[in-house]
Amino acid sequence: MLFPENTAQVQEIIREARKNGKGLVPLSSEPPHFHGASENANAETVCFSAMNRIMKIDRRSRYVRVEPGVTFGTLIPLLAEHGMRLNLPFLARAGKSVTTSALEREAILIPKYQYDYPDPLLTVETVFGTGDVFRTGSAAGPGTYEQNKADKVLPWGPGTIDYLRFLSAAQGTIGFVTWATLKTEILPSASRLFFIAADNVGQLNSLANALIRKRVPDECIILNRENFAAAFANDLAEEEKLRQCAPWVMLCRVCGFDRYPEERVDIYSRYVREACAEAGLVAETEYPLLPNLEERIENMLTDCDRRETNWKLRLGAQKELVMAAPPSKTAAIAEYISQHLPQTGLSVQPQVQGRAFRIECNLRFENAGEAEKYEAALFELAKELAAIGAYFDRPYGRLSELVYTEPQSLDAVKRIKKIFDPDGILNPGKLCF
Amino acid sequence: MSFSDQVYQELAAVVGERYITRKDFILAGNRAKTPEMPVAHPSAECIVCPATTEEVAEIVSICLRHDLRYLACVTGCIPSAYASGPDTVFMHLKRMNHMEINVEDRYAIIEPGVRHVQLYPEVRKHGLSYAAAAVGPGGSPLVTYAVTGGDNHVQYGASRPCRYLLGVEMVTPEGEILRTGSLQTDSGWFCADSPGPSLRGLVRGYSGNNGKLGIITKCAIALDQCKGPAEIRREGISPHHKMFMDGDCSRVYVFNYENIQDVCDAMLALGEAEIAATVQKYFYLPLTLMMTDSANDFFKKWEYCKKTVPMPLVVHIATQSPEEREYEEKILFDIVHETKGTRIPRDLEMWWEEHMDYFMIVTRLQSVLRLGGSWFPCKASAESVQHMCDIGESISEFIYDFTDTGKIFDAPENYQIIPMEYSHFASSELLFMWDRFNPDGFKNMMEFMAASSATDAKYFYHGSTSSGYGPSAEKKGKLYSNAHIWMEQIQKAFDPRA
Repeated sequence: MLFPENTAQVQEIIREARKNGKGLVPLSSEPPHFHGASENANAETVCFSAMNRIMKIDRRSRYVRVEPGVTFGTLIPLLAEHGMRLNLPFLARAGKSVTTSALEREAILIPKYQYDYPDPLLTVETVFGTGDVFRTGSAAGPGTYEQNKADKVLPWGPGTIDYLRFLSAAQGTIGFVTWATLKTEILPSASRLFFIAADNVGQLNSLANALIRKRVPDECIILNRENFAAAFANDLAEEEKLRQCAPWVMLCRVCGFDRYPEERVDIYSRYVREACAEAGLVAETEYPLLPNLEERIENMLTDCDRRETNWKLRLGAQKELVMAAPPSKTAAIAEYISQHLPQTGLSVQPQVQGRAFRIECNLRFENAGEAEKYEAALFELAKELAAIGAYFDRPYGRLSELVYTEPQSLDAVKRIKKIFDPDGILNPGKLCF
Repeated sequence: MSFSDQVYQELAAVVGERYITRKDFILAGNRAKTPEMPVAHPSAECIVCPATTEEVAEIVSICLRHDLRYLACVTGCIPSAYASGPDTVFMHLKRMNHMEINVEDRYAIIEPGVRHVQLYPEVRKHGLSYAAAAVGPGGSPLVTYAVTGGDNHVQYGASRPCRYLLGVEMVTPEGEILRTGSLQTDSGWFCADSPGPSLRGLVRGYSGNNGKLGIITKCAIALDQCKGPAEIRREGISPHHKMFMDGDCSRVYVFNYENIQDVCDAMLALGEAEIAATVQKYFYLPLTLMMTDSANDFFKKWEYCKKTVPMPLVVHIATQSPEEREYEEKILFDIVHETKGTRIPRDLEMWWEEHMDYFMIVTRLQSVLRLGGSWFPCKASAESVQHMCDIGESISEFIYDFTDTGKIFDAPENYQIIPMEYSHFASSELLFMWDRFNPDGFKNMMEFMAASSATDAKYFYHGSTSSGYGPSAEKKGKLYSNAHIWMEQIQKAFDPRA
């Protein structure tokens, strides 16, 4: 395993690999690893744990710039000291790389801040498979990193190409990212968390759509009973108690900021209650399945998962399937999964201003030796879900067989790969490469 | 190979005789030059009007086979929309004007021939809206979103079109049909990004490719919930009309500032508080032009406007309840007080209120600009609000050499800064005008642009972006991570004639 400490060393590693025809796979997060993108038997691992500098925290223009080794566990409290927060994934592992999470288009919790799929990722520096360093968006120039007086936050370009998108969800096959700029938001001064219970996901899906298009909620996530219990319990006994929740629960948090925060929270709470009433639902601020559960959940929604055992692994092992869908198809997809794999945990998260949803299906089991069996079951399920509109834009493992079937786009993405990694040394064999 | 009767017949076989022509008077109407550009456009050999993506693909294949140039055009607003050499087939895409609105998933599928004047009213009927660039009602939304730039006046509470471009269908320079985003796997139009490395990166970056990497024949654009009143009452007929944003949830305020850094503080504070629907520091010269009907009328009002609103900050509040409006107004007035802004005279503020619909904000501006003389934009860029305001401040270093000598119109503060995504970023544009009858006008314009670039170079400001291909882009590309090299490689990979 190689441990570069700076961009120049990453360049050197890639140039050397080109010369020797060796494959390289990037690794930025601490274990456990769920998707297998950072495991490659045909490549040497380049571990970015030593590149863990927080390069800049800018409160005025609301951004942070970090190297790939910086984890959620480290960054969240530091940002809070500056009165800021990240648009977090749901219970990200404390050891998860902030950069990788954004690069891999992980679902975020606050859709009103997400204008486009790569958001909150703004700009990156990358070393392509050619060994060349490149900076995206307004970080590109003018001049060197030090000379360029811009805040380096504008995601698009340079020029007429959106290079950031070539790197997004690419599993390190186009370039190795050596730093990333991410959007940050103001830490709320006041907040109120609502629990909205429902018998079916469709009701909550529509409610989320109605609220988010008006920019009412901050954090917003819909969980089925299995994932609600697994995520917020600290042990199996608590899980049993939390399984008394409704079949589906939506968590919706409204916030106020520096100026008249309570007033904003009151106005927005009224909007939540009105929308619920219109949908025949009730927004509760208490959910007394466990003592102080409300406070626990609010804290967990605004932090990463710092528990010793990740919630997905409490039984021993898990396999997951992640997909996107438009609002009109989300409920049908979630219901289909529930019917065909009733024991599965489901998280349904509105994204990009509520114009799409991410559905995560978590299959937890005790015997790690059965992983292949469950993986195969999920793959079969994925094929059926694709037929009813599920979109697998993060195609880990065998999912690439499902998505790279159309010849024109397959040819186009291979041409892109050839430009930026002409010798095919970056994470060989992944995706369609 | 040159254009021939045989090629004409091949093209006619694709679209039908009715949709192809080489009549002189029609060709002449499609080589018009803009008054401020001393460039004569050669005539195209023929004009062909395809109706489908497949027809566009066939036309491109024919041109490729016979080694002919081709270009696709809808609105013809810019010089690159016209033939630039001999043996050019001109594809007019006006027949491709279908649109479909998906209300639940909040997107519209549009073809290039769809105009804002068609799409916008339909979208509003569903309580939805989109970021319409300042091109007026005749502009093509597809061009704005996928082909060119797209800064707009509602981006403070929204963003640039780059953020709203979803699935795209295009014809590559090889004549193949390429689909990007969720279209790639037949999963519909809703998602911009392809599985893994996203082909959406090819379609546009900060700006579009102007067709260099393919002709966009269809795309989906994301729609937002409409902010402000559902209906805008109107009196009179454009351009002599007034509009009224009735109701208790919508208000327009205009403040004047003395210093751009104070404007910057106000924009950032408004964004942090997440209040207001529209915020912009507008240019005062077009503002005055829009208020007038003749040159005499303009000069009467200009001295007053120049003195009274040199740096206007326009704020539109659009909330869901009167209670929320009052809450936002309270914060707005606190911020304006803290940042030393002053409310402008009510007669001027009223003009804004009655003439800006905040969606198609410059429906009249385009015609007024033409009447006013020659104009050109520079500092057309985007970055953080702070960086854009720093660039705005630097304009005074070079502009007086041109305004004091009459080379350009004397309006030194005539730049706009429009925040986006609640002041996470902002775009800027310095709009300068000159007398189109001045024989040195074009030369002066070029000198002014050079002075602007020199200031950016001196401070390493992101006042423009790297663009273009080939030798002319090399000098700039070197300063932008060698972007020109990558752009050239991409073009070579997708265009066999590059």
